Amino acid sequence: MTTDVGLIRTAAPGYALDLSIWTVLKWTVAICVAVVAVFPIIWMINVVFAEPGVPVSINPRLLPTSLSAGIAKIDTILSETSYLHAYYISITYSLLTIAGVLLIGSMAAFEFALFEFPGKRPMFVIVMLSLMVPTAVTLIPTYLLTANLGWLNTMQGLVVPGLASAFGLFMLIQFMRTIPREMIEAARLDGASHFQIYRHIALPMSKNALVTLAILIFMQTWGNFIWPLIVAPSPQMYTVGQVVGLFNAPFSHVTVDIVMAANLLAALPPLIFFLLFQRKIVEGIAMSGSKG
Amino acid sequence: MADLQIINVSKSYGAVEVLRDVNLSIASGEFVVFVGPSGCGKSTLLRMISGLEEAPTGEIRLEGKVVNRVDPAKRGVAMVFQSYALYPHMTAFQNMAFSLTMAREPKAVIKEKVGRAAAILRLERLLDRRPGELSGGQKQRVAIGRAIVREPKVFLFDEPLSNLDTELRVQMRAELIQLHAKLGTTMIYVTHDQVEAMTLADKMVVMNGGIIQQHGTPLGLYDDPDNKFVAGFIGSPKMNFIKAKVEAVRTDAITLSDLGGCSRLELPFRNFDADIREVELGVRTEHIDIAQDAGTTDILAAKVAFVEELGDVTFIHTDLPTGERLVVRSSKARHRGSSTECFVKLDPAGVLLFGTNGERIRSA
Ligand SMILES: Nc1ncnc2c1ncn2[C@@H]1O[C@H](COP(=O)(O)OP(=O)(O)OP(=O)(O)O)[C@@H](O)[C@H]1O
Ligand SMILES: [Mg+2]
Repeated sequence: MTTDVGLIRTAAPGYALDLSIWTVLKWTVAICVAVVAVFPIIWMINVVFAEPGVPVSINPRLLPTSLSAGIAKIDTILSETSYLHAYYISITYSLLTIAGVLLIGSMAAFEFALFEFPGKRPMFVIVMLSLMVPTAVTLIPTYLLTANLGWLNTMQGLVVPGLASAFGLFMLIQFMRTIPREMIEAARLDGASHFQIYRHIALPMSKNALVTLAILIFMQTWGNFIWPLIVAPSPQMYTVGQVVGLFNAPFSHVTVDIVMAANLLAALPPLIFFLLFQRKIVEGIAMSGSKG
Repeated sequence: MADLQIINVSKSYGAVEVLRDVNLSIASGEFVVFVGPSGCGKSTLLRMISGLEEAPTGEIRLEGKVVNRVDPAKRGVAMVFQSYALYPHMTAFQNMAFSLTMAREPKAVIKEKVGRAAAILRLERLLDRRPGELSGGQKQRVAIGRAIVREPKVFLFDEPLSNLDTELRVQMRAELIQLHAKLGTTMIYVTHDQVEAMTLADKMVVMNGGIIQQHGTPLGLYDDPDNKFVAGFIGSPKMNFIKAKVEAVRTDAITLSDLGGCSRLELPFRNFDADIREVELGVRTEHIDIAQDAGTTDILAAKVAFVEELGDVTFIHTDLPTGERLVVRSSKARHRGSSTECFVKLDPAGVLLFGTNGERIRSA
């Protein structure tokens, strides 16, 4: 409080007072939100790394108490279920989707953002309209189409329908629009072909947007539950989400701390990912104006 | 080294005609400057020469060959943009080497060519830096280097210095002159700064409203402009214009009256068209003198509006009774601040005549 008083004396009075009240409010709200958001994760870690029952005993604890118990649970899950295979499926699914969306999206965005061609506006409008159609509406037609292609329980069935990302396209177009026309013209005069301009100018200059989009797609595909559930129901194609779903099923016989361990394993990759790319993710979410 | 002809080239964007019937011939090795006010079509013309803008009508000939349909990269022209347009993710070296890399030149050749260009532009120690780590002048040099490396037949510059501060601009201007002397390549340079144009050009092309108003040597245009626009555009401060009536016409002289209200002026002039009753006089500031008193009829009385004293010269801005502004350049004496009235005398040898349509009336 003493520093606040000092601040009020030196700065313009009304403004400094507003600022400090505003700051206190802002931080209070932020901390409350943070607690609400972080608590389940702490609790999950807590439950996993403890002897069964300890965290909810008469004398409950908030902090993990037994590392070995947690490792034992994780070991059980990895050895007794096909969790590792599910990791493999999920990661392949995510990486292929990322690669595909970045490639297709960046090539399409390159044309949309930097060149004129007949039918450009109507095509753009159609793509943008598809952003407004909820996934639930397209789910069944997409499923039928995929089934007719004979792609049920295959990797391409998982990946291909997700490659046409209107959102990714939109984001990349917005970004590539900021590439100055003169730069493209300079490259043209330098003898770069259309594809070389894409490859050597547009693509490297959009690196930030591409990284951001990759992260957003990772979060989205990793967390995608419904599409793998309907298009790849065979155990051979289970993603992490589906395996966790099995653990969480109403009649499964595993105890709650094993379920929590499974959940923790599922949350780990995005968590690591988030910690690694924290700044980029925040930038990306601010840039795309959506919560990915 | 290449000569360039532009024949009957026009350009419209929709209903807007940006260039009308441009005809221009540029000799090999010439330094040509396009100059004109903003929006007059200079960049458009330059971009049509480069091929970045299509030339639907007329012909552009480079070394005698029509290049209207030739791909910009294959015309042998290189362009330096106002915004530099350097590739931000590449080092200065990679920027300069880009065209060679695209052409799949061997590494050694690339290194040698870029090294040579860098030496000309004194960029050797900056080659590892990215554009973000270079100053404006350095970026501009890299952009010029990128053009040099391609060994073009024609260099095109679109206002390359306008993002630089005054001092750097003067320095870069000197470097461009040296560069031109060293390479001897045809260069076409766009600017709207007439001082830049005067100092750089072998041939100056003055444009306005999509039309080439006049072209020639800078001093040729300065001394002998074709119309009021060129006369007014070149020279600083601007040429003075005064309306006058034609009183008498003889075979080798005319008498003008009503100058600045009531003065008269006798002008040597051969074969003046006697039908013309009204003209406009163009007089540069150095052809006007301050007179001691209103002794003769050719002296104009004026009010001093304000005075610019620059040390070596003094510009006295005066208002004539008709409301016209007359700027007098005086290098002899400094102005003594007190007087508000003065008398000025026009030097008949420095007076140009323009018709009411703005076209020059020349003595035959
Ligand atoms: N793509 C375009 N579509 C429509 N009009 C255009 C286009 N490009 C240029 N113009 C118009 O053509 C005219 C000439 O433009 P240009 O860029 O050649 O002018 P400029 O002489 O280079 O001017 P400045 O000195 O400001 O660069 C301008 O009136 C401009 O508005
Ligand atoms: Mg321009």
